[in-house]
Amino acid sequence: MARSAKTALVLCLDVGFSMSNSAPGQEPPFQQAKKVIQKFVQRQVFAENKDELGLVLFGSDNTKNNLAKDDQYQNISVHRQLMIPNFELLEEIQNDVHPGSQQADWLDALVVCMDLLQNETLGKKYERLNIVMLTDLNTPSSPDQLDIIIGNLKRAGITLQFFLPFPVDGGGSNPPHGGKALSREQQQGLEMTKQVMMSLDEEDGLEEVYTFSDAIEKLSVFKRVEKRPMAWPCTLTIGSSLAIKIVGYKAVCEERPRKSWSVVDAQTHQKDDIKRDVVYCLNDDEETEVQKDDTIQGYRYGSDIVPFSKVDQDQMKYKTDGKSFAVLGFTKQSMINRHQFVGTQVLKVFAPKDDEHAGVALSGLIRALDDLKMVAVVRYVYARNGNPQLGAAFPCIKEKYECLVYIQLPFMEDLRQYSFPSLENNKKYTPSEDQLSAVDSLIDSMMLVEEDKDGVKKDLFKVNHIPNPQYQRLFQCLHHRAVNPSAPLPPMDPWLTTALQRPLAVATRCQAPLEILKKKFPLKEVVKKKELKTSKELFGNSTEEPDAKKAKVDEEEDFNLADITEGSITQVGSVDPARDFRTLIRQKSLPFGEVCQQLTGRIEQLLGNKNMNYYIKCIPCIQTFREQSVQVGNADHYNSYIQSLKTSIPVRGLQEFWDMLVQDALTLINKDEVEGSTFSSHDAKQFLTAGEKKEEVVAAVVDDTGDVDDLVSVNLLWLHFQGESVFVGVGGYTSTRSTVVYVTSLPWFISSPYSWT
Amino acid sequence: MAQWNDYHHEDEDVDGEERDESGVDYKSTGRDSLVFLVDASKEMFIMGEDEEPSPFDMTMQCVRSVYTSKIISSDKDLVALVFYGTEQSKNPRNSFKHVYIYHDLDLPGARRVQDVDGLRGEKGAQVAGETMGSGNTNLGEALWCCSNLYSDIKLRLSHKRLMIFTCRDTPHGGDSERDRQARTKASDLKETGVVIDLMHLMKPGGFDVSLFFCDVVSPPEDEAELGLQMEPCGKLEDLQKRVRAKEMKKRSVARLNLCLGEGMNVAVGVYITALQARKPNAIKLYRDNNEPVRTKTRLYHTQTGSLLLPSDTKRVQVYAGRQIVMEKDEVDVIKKFSDPGLELIGFKPMERLKLHHHLRSAVFIYPEEEMVTGVSILTLLRRCSVRNVFALCKYTRIRNSPPRFLALVPQKEEVDDGQAQIAAPGFHGIFLPYADDIRTLDTPQLPTASESQVDKMKEIVHKLRFKYRSDAFENPVLQQHYRNLEALALDLMAPEHIEDLTMPNVNMIDQRLGSLAQEFRDLVYPADYNPEGKTAPKRKPAEAAGGTEKKPKVEMSEDELRGHVQKGNLGKLTVPVLKDACKQFGVKVTGTKKQELIDALTAQLTK
Repeated sequence: MARSAKTALVLCLDVGFSMSNSAPGQEPPFQQAKKVIQKFVQRQVFAENKDELGLVLFGSDNTKNNLAKDDQYQNISVHRQLMIPNFELLEEIQNDVHPGSQQADWLDALVVCMDLLQNETLGKKYERLNIVMLTDLNTPSSPDQLDIIIGNLKRAGITLQFFLPFPVDGGGSNPPHGGKALSREQQQGLEMTKQVMMSLDEEDGLEEVYTFSDAIEKLSVFKRVEKRPMAWPCTLTIGSSLAIKIVGYKAVCEERPRKSWSVVDAQTHQKDDIKRDVVYCLNDDEETEVQKDDTIQGYRYGSDIVPFSKVDQDQMKYKTDGKSFAVLGFTKQSMINRHQFVGTQVLKVFAPKDDEHAGVALSGLIRALDDLKMVAVVRYVYARNGNPQLGAAFPCIKEKYECLVYIQLPFMEDLRQYSFPSLENNKKYTPSEDQLSAVDSLIDSMMLVEEDKDGVKKDLFKVNHIPNPQYQRLFQCLHHRAVNPSAPLPPMDPWLTTALQRPLAVATRCQAPLEILKKKFPLKEVVKKKELKTSKELFGNSTEEPDAKKAKVDEEEDFNLADITEGSITQVGSVDPARDFRTLIRQKSLPFGEVCQQLTGRIEQLLGNKNMNYYIKCIPCIQTFREQSVQVGNADHYNSYIQSLKTSIPVRGLQEFWDMLVQDALTLINKDEVEGSTFSSHDAKQFLTAGEKKEEVVAAVVDDTGDVDDLVSVNLLWLHFQGESVFVGVGGYTSTRSTVVYVTSLPWFISSPYSWT
Repeated sequence: MAQWNDYHHEDEDVDGEERDESGVDYKSTGRDSLVFLVDASKEMFIMGEDEEPSPFDMTMQCVRSVYTSKIISSDKDLVALVFYGTEQSKNPRNSFKHVYIYHDLDLPGARRVQDVDGLRGEKGAQVAGETMGSGNTNLGEALWCCSNLYSDIKLRLSHKRLMIFTCRDTPHGGDSERDRQARTKASDLKETGVVIDLMHLMKPGGFDVSLFFCDVVSPPEDEAELGLQMEPCGKLEDLQKRVRAKEMKKRSVARLNLCLGEGMNVAVGVYITALQARKPNAIKLYRDNNEPVRTKTRLYHTQTGSLLLPSDTKRVQVYAGRQIVMEKDEVDVIKKFSDPGLELIGFKPMERLKLHHHLRSAVFIYPEEEMVTGVSILTLLRRCSVRNVFALCKYTRIRNSPPRFLALVPQKEEVDDGQAQIAAPGFHGIFLPYADDIRTLDTPQLPTASESQVDKMKEIVHKLRFKYRSDAFENPVLQQHYRNLEALALDLMAPEHIEDLTMPNVNMIDQRLGSLAQEFRDLVYPADYNPEGKTAPKRKPAEAAGGTEKKPKVEMSEDELRGHVQKGNLGKLTVPVLKDACKQFGVKVTGTKKQELIDALTAQLTK
């Protein structure tokens, strides 16, 4: 079958001495060629297909090939027979392939490769045979056999690709980049190369000749593995009497890597050494374990939990009877809001390949909709008992094909009708003419689509041409780690970083308009930062729920970092926040404000526990916070935090903790300590003694009654406050995320999570 | 006021990332609370003409539907039911006469719904008469009692509402002392942030709010509403409407800086306005007592049996037979590209935004601090909208989340006739696909329709036009689930029937189309063409052999089989059939190859 078709490919690398020559400051061709090979093999390894690969070196010091006889075919070595490439090959290339001190005729090498291909593919089926020649063509070669070679290539159906240090058309007498003119041999070689390639493929032959640098760039991108699109045959119905046969294909969908991480033992690296085990236990003091079979499912109904077994549920649930693509009606395209699309995919709907009549019928519908600017609203069911969807089928007419584009629309339950304060009708926000024109010139300077001289529109930044950076980075790291198991991860590939940034042209162009914009909208930066900070602090824990969940990941990070003594601290952890804070300030790797925010975040978490032990842990944090702020000479963060903390004391019932602060005289930083402070030393003194009553109203924002809406989230929120180590499971933890949660089992925790009221 | 509803819920869980975006932040908002203060005087029990239910009965219907709606939409909200004008009194220390607290301020549950059911209909009126009776009215006392309900709650309440249900516009029959007392108590309540609503019911001769209640209720936001209202309150209808959708509190999924350029940061909030709602998660219960059980997940070493810490594990992927090992934090750090934020790349004309570039629900971007950044965002919004461009941004939601590109599409604020916002000002962030996310498809080459065919279809489209509204369709799966739950919780005989709005109304469509469908068919299909026939003839044999769902289980008689053996065409049977035949005749087979099966069968049956 076609699916099993594979390619056999021989890489033929010139390692002769001329390959090591280069203009000063330039990478020798050998190194470039080696990179090309590495990247190529790497890509093949990760693609995990059945393609086979061989490696022939020529110009090598030794000779190892079937054709070598007397003085013929010397210094050509078959380094690797045809095999599925693996990491061993990558390592060999990295460690064992060195430039040689000899020279060999590249045509001879080509013959060796052909021989290798023919011998080893005998009796097996290959879709394609290919030879990749990497050379600087700097050896004299005898053209007398050229015709025979070309004839053989053609007969065997072997295709050829050339990778050269210089472009094929820029050759001749013009010195190539780097200023070194081509040698006579090279010019001759180039002519021969052209001859070979043109005779293999008259028109596009030369397109199979690449330069090393181009190739490196192209090969840097990991190619995704193409998936065969799955056809979804169905019938489009309009009422009971009109039906059109259709086939749907997924056209757009978030692509995920095929493999995921599995957990192994840190010492043995064996997956089998680790077992994850889920136990169920009653909510009593003994935490009595019960068997899974003795549990049933239930759902919350207000204050009650209604037992609702899986069997009952299956019996009572909504059922659909088979796939469906039924038109409910037609509506104007303008009635459908693009931002209300839901679901995670886009389907393209065609008529079946071999069904002309369906094709005509569907075309009729598509064209009618397109003319009328309408869409079909359809009920979509993927398969029997699949959940029904409501969706819109848009007409789509392209030069080469017509189809319907199906996208899911929301149900009433999916919509969240938030309202936001008006910006438009508020006199405070009326922008001035200056401001409007400043924004206009910004837009002008940052247009990504521009017309060139010929009036052709060019898009400078096509997102749909960028490979998903997540996977590019993943494969880069995987490859690096596979070949260098003990080395730290490599930095991001520069091309990837660049690909994700504002195009250089635009970045330069928008400088001036940005400066003007900054002037027209003053204040923003300063005020914003301050406000952001205080609001964050005022709301304390409350606004941080999403952050807190994220912190779960961070927590584990801490853990590992501490354990493997990496020695680098990247954020304020919960084990010793004060220490981390100090280190981070010293390292200066993060902005001061951010480090402060991390610390206050930790303090808030600790205070959330309302326990003397945690209070005690907080005091050094605040002490350090104050010390460091004075040292850095920036009192804003500390002062605003300590103020907001104070206002929240009465509501949160943290009087005890406040008393401790008073005892340690942890007051505001005054003018004498840091110049920028707005408080006199008198203010600072007053601050600790002044009554709190008047601030009560302001502080009424914080509420720490642990509301249990989403059990998982709330528990997680509480759980990862602890940096220590006992596992405690999370009730109702039925989400797909299978991360374990690490906490100390504190008494309050044991007793709290199931109080539903 | 129709909004207890508001909608719902989370977890498009493509991965953990999405899950994080949901979660409700109750802490910052507190809980809503609602007290029903219901008149229990004799007048309330008088049935209307034409067997119309009594005001009391209608009220109980409302209360019930609010209870059941709340249970599903926002089960953290507190609700209370208090009667006034009763004979009996029931309240803490019974300090208030003629006030009967039927339900304390608490979460609604099945029990309460059943209680309310017990007060409905004729029987209910009887029950009410027996337990509470009708007596003197002192609204002041009742309001005072209610204010105690609020103050007894230890939780923070974000929204406090009190609804008075009555059909009497002069509850104290002209007792000005009691009127005055009630007004004072009402203003006390209002001062503590309680919103008082009047739900006045039918009264012969009309209900005159101006007589007394206008001083009691909170002033309506729209001043025109104030004054005489003769009609029974329209809000009642809203109350009776059942809403089964989980309410989502407005909360941003991220607060970020929108970076226009070096040093130009604008703080914005990221919100989700449409996301597929899922069934709420099930809870595991212990079979014997229906108490929830807790799940403990442990990671242990299979050899030593010792518990493992996260640091005792690493992460592995295998490629080409080689294990590639990384630390957990390395795996996370790989995903990090830049700090959380929105980074402006540039602008593009709207037509560059392709319809089919859709990956997941869009987000909504709104300036975080109105005062300062509002004006800059507004300016940007206006200019983008006027010039018909969108802003292209790189979006990093949290640390360690890889970047995605968003098209920020401006949305101008829109209000309806009543000045209610129908579209909020801000940017919709549309997720754009990367190269990997777009699949290459083989597009079939097929003939296109002629003009007359297209025109006929246009007629069809024309006949079936309707006005689509995004909130018009309920999810039948969720609705059925909630009704099932209700039925179980309330011991109903059967769940309430759902109307499946996703089903096409075939009869109506056929009727509207009339002969058009046939005419179109005649235009595009030849006479012998059956558009509903199976597309793939290849699948037929499989279906004939018992359908595609389960393994075909074809019992073959011994004679049949012998026939096959004799004719030597066993090879025509499929492997599963042969296997079944082997089992049937007790033939032991060593291999699974077809030939082996055939050989074994032949050997057995030719003995």
